[in-house]
Amino acid sequence: MHEIPAHVLTARFKKGELSAKEIVEASLKRMALHDPKIGAFLSVLTERALKKAEEIDKKRDQGKSLGKLAGVPIALKDNIHVKGELTTCGSKFLSNYKAPFDATVTRLLEEEDAIIIGKTNMDEFAMGSSTENSAYHNTKNPWDLNSTPGGSSGGSAAAVAARFCPIALGSDTGGSIRQPAAFSGVVGFKPTYGRVSRYGLVAFASSLDQIGPLTTNVQDAALVMEILGKHCEKDSTSLPLPWRAHNEHTKELRIGVPKKFLEDLPSETRENFEHSLKILGAQIVDIDLGILKNSIAVYYIIASAEASTNLARFDGIRYGIRSPRAKTLEEVYDFSKQEGFGTEVKQRILLGTYVLSSGYQDAYYRKAQKVRTLIIEQFRKAFLQCDLVAMPTSPFTAFPLNSIADPVQMYLQDIYTICANIAGLPAVSVPSGFSKDKKPFGLQLIGPLLKDAEVLHAAHIFEKTANLQLTPNL
Amino acid sequence: MTEIRYEQWEPVIGLEIHIQLNTKSKLFASSPNRFGDEPNTNISEVCTGQPGALPVLNKEAVKKAVQFGCAVGARVAHFSKFDRKSYFYPDSPRNFQITQFDQPIVVGGTITCDVGGAIKHFQINRAHLEDDAGMLKHFTNFAGVDYNRAGVPLIEVVSEPCIHTPKEAVAYAMAVKAIAEYLDISDCNMEEGSLRIDANISVRLKGEKTLRTKVEIKNMNSFHNMEMALESEIRRQCRAYTLKEEIKKGTYRFDLEKKETVLMREKEDADDYRYFPEPDLVPIVLTDAYIEEIKKSLPELPAERFKRYITELHLPEYSANQLVIDKALCNYFEESLKICPNAKSLCNWLTVEFTGRLKDSDKSLSDFSGNIARLVNLIDKGTITGRIAKDVADEMVLNPDKNPEEIVAANPDYQPMHDTSDIEPIIDQVLLENPSSIADYRAGKTKAFGFLVGQVMKLSKGKASPSVVNDLLTKKLDLSL
Repeated sequence: MHEIPAHVLTARFKKGELSAKEIVEASLKRMALHDPKIGAFLSVLTERALKKAEEIDKKRDQGKSLGKLAGVPIALKDNIHVKGELTTCGSKFLSNYKAPFDATVTRLLEEEDAIIIGKTNMDEFAMGSSTENSAYHNTKNPWDLNSTPGGSSGGSAAAVAARFCPIALGSDTGGSIRQPAAFSGVVGFKPTYGRVSRYGLVAFASSLDQIGPLTTNVQDAALVMEILGKHCEKDSTSLPLPWRAHNEHTKELRIGVPKKFLEDLPSETRENFEHSLKILGAQIVDIDLGILKNSIAVYYIIASAEASTNLARFDGIRYGIRSPRAKTLEEVYDFSKQEGFGTEVKQRILLGTYVLSSGYQDAYYRKAQKVRTLIIEQFRKAFLQCDLVAMPTSPFTAFPLNSIADPVQMYLQDIYTICANIAGLPAVSVPSGFSKDKKPFGLQLIGPLLKDAEVLHAAHIFEKTANLQLTPNL
Repeated sequence: MTEIRYEQWEPVIGLEIHIQLNTKSKLFASSPNRFGDEPNTNISEVCTGQPGALPVLNKEAVKKAVQFGCAVGARVAHFSKFDRKSYFYPDSPRNFQITQFDQPIVVGGTITCDVGGAIKHFQINRAHLEDDAGMLKHFTNFAGVDYNRAGVPLIEVVSEPCIHTPKEAVAYAMAVKAIAEYLDISDCNMEEGSLRIDANISVRLKGEKTLRTKVEIKNMNSFHNMEMALESEIRRQCRAYTLKEEIKKGTYRFDLEKKETVLMREKEDADDYRYFPEPDLVPIVLTDAYIEEIKKSLPELPAERFKRYITELHLPEYSANQLVIDKALCNYFEESLKICPNAKSLCNWLTVEFTGRLKDSDKSLSDFSGNIARLVNLIDKGTITGRIAKDVADEMVLNPDKNPEEIVAANPDYQPMHDTSDIEPIIDQVLLENPSSIADYRAGKTKAFGFLVGQVMKLSKGKASPSVVNDLLTKKLDLSL
């Protein structure tokens, strides 16, 4: 059962071939068997999932209309609120924090009768590219248990790759859905900024964060987007537009490739990428995206600046941990943060505070915003020449656990993904083959603003043509 | 001892007035905006800064800010935005305030007001929207935070440093308050903190072009305190400069006991709030049509009323200002005008007689409904004299809802003497007792006539009709010539 795609699973449930209880139990059983060695989950919502499954079975038995994801188990990254359940964000600081409300995405999924089965591991506050920054445990890549699943949505990617559930949600601030999707051999989609409500997603960098699906196939990702791609009044940056499905009658695709920007690709990645372009079978256009060499710098300034203020609320006063050593107000602040936050989070708060400080803001934050505008502008020009931009999702395949100690090396993981967040563009990572050592590669397709459906459509065509066998042996 | 020559110095004052907007809900959340409830009952995930919560702008607050902008003749920005202002304090639920840093919704504007009989104009620099903080409450062995106030919408009205005396500062602040009250955008209750004033103040030698070190004064929770605080701070600064002492940049508060400004904290350098654009909110974009619509629907404002009172009702400027500056009083006056056409007399009875009588009473003007107007009508009709009316007014304060006509009818002492037969004996007695005044009158001293009238009124206990007394007295004096 674990290999059945979500859209098939819900169809079979609706036909009466499977009960929601059977589906959830199978999912929980597979998790119990394999998650101890993978570590995809931070919490498993067994009781809640079984109760929900019973309700949905009853609903079906009573002949009531069923939602688009009826009976499908879904995992959520642990920075997305499920009312009454823990939201740790992979941080010790929130080890005791129970969400006081449902995220909009949680509500939308449950309105379609999906079943939330657990919360997945992540880099603390989504800061990282390997899930190694989780305060709880490492997550292993189902394709190679010695490697990371990527990050920061590594738990969600591993959960789908290991077929614990056909769908998981992640959040993507600089590549946190797409890079782990590529490393884990699953589909990962980051929507146009504002397409999916951020209400109930614990913010890392507000102007870059987007929630999106990780799935075993593109059709499921499109199905999830049809459900999540709605206007939400509780998020002021939510687009006041309905989800627009892809129009089938399009002319031949023109794919833009920033050849110069990709000059330094490692050879195996290059081979896979060039092969992927052939599979796409589209017209290839060489485009200039030279400005993207600045994207990592821009990203770490803007993301850290926003994060330094978003994380200021974690002060030990209202919720989360409060250091028992603290005797004064200053100590509550200092010790609680000292004890609650990991190294990477502290580094980024410091960096963000620095780039916003008076005297430095012009040189860093404001300049980064200017370059951000230039990046948006260069993408706009590129999309006059092509329909989509193609790049590898990552220059590498999944790297071994504890192999990257230098944070700057780790930041380079996101060199090809960050630009979509900076420009707010929709982007997908779709599995595109394997390296010699049997680790997955991902092809990334980036579209113009609001062309989410077109991006998914192209990925769907690619997926069909590539026809890869994508279930790891556990 | 060095002599301090205060008159050499010119104070330069700028005011920051925080006005809580009386919207139904908070600036970025749907929780109620209400004062005085149980702590932490009017809160939501947004007001307590829960992770995952997002701000959503309250359109009613935007409208009220625009109303203020239009009322003071400011430029209302077609594009304005919010910024994060970072500082750590337990009453700040996110540890940053959402405010407007460099692109406020209201730019410029003028406040026109009466300062001791002279009309003056003061320039507003800007007014911006921001959210209020919660309140720290200290108990014997712990402190708690009440987040009911967190997220209440404020406009901060920042004046140019164009105010030069404490009296001007009070007049300006009262005028801003009156505008907010007339627009009904705020309760403007200084005791409850829905109107709060901070002052930036420095002094310089007259003629100096540059500004000297300014200090900030907080905690001035009444106009009277503000005036005292500014006066005390001006004296302190003049004294310090004269004695070659340094003025330290910092924040002061006004100590009510000592009646002087006390240093709260020094500011070595400007605080670094690390302002940057709030990424969770989109900019406020307003169309001309929206702004025009608001402009058109503004109520009559204090300055317009003032003009009308002078030109149409012919009230003296001082009285007109007294009425206009106090919305409750002025609205009562407007209502009373519908019953009593004598605006001047009505104004006098309201601003002098009843304001005085109500000072230490638990009653307010609204308790009297139309009764004060009716009292003035009784005088105008000659039913009672002004002297009797004062006694009636004393009684009215005890029973404000009682019609003065009933009070007068019920008390024989309040019946004026109209009959010549009642008044004549009194006049005769007065003339008999004051031969010298008669002589003075005949010598052309008109004052003597007034004195004689006064004596008659005194003997009649104020009940004699003044017109009858005048007539009779004139007749008698001229007859016996």
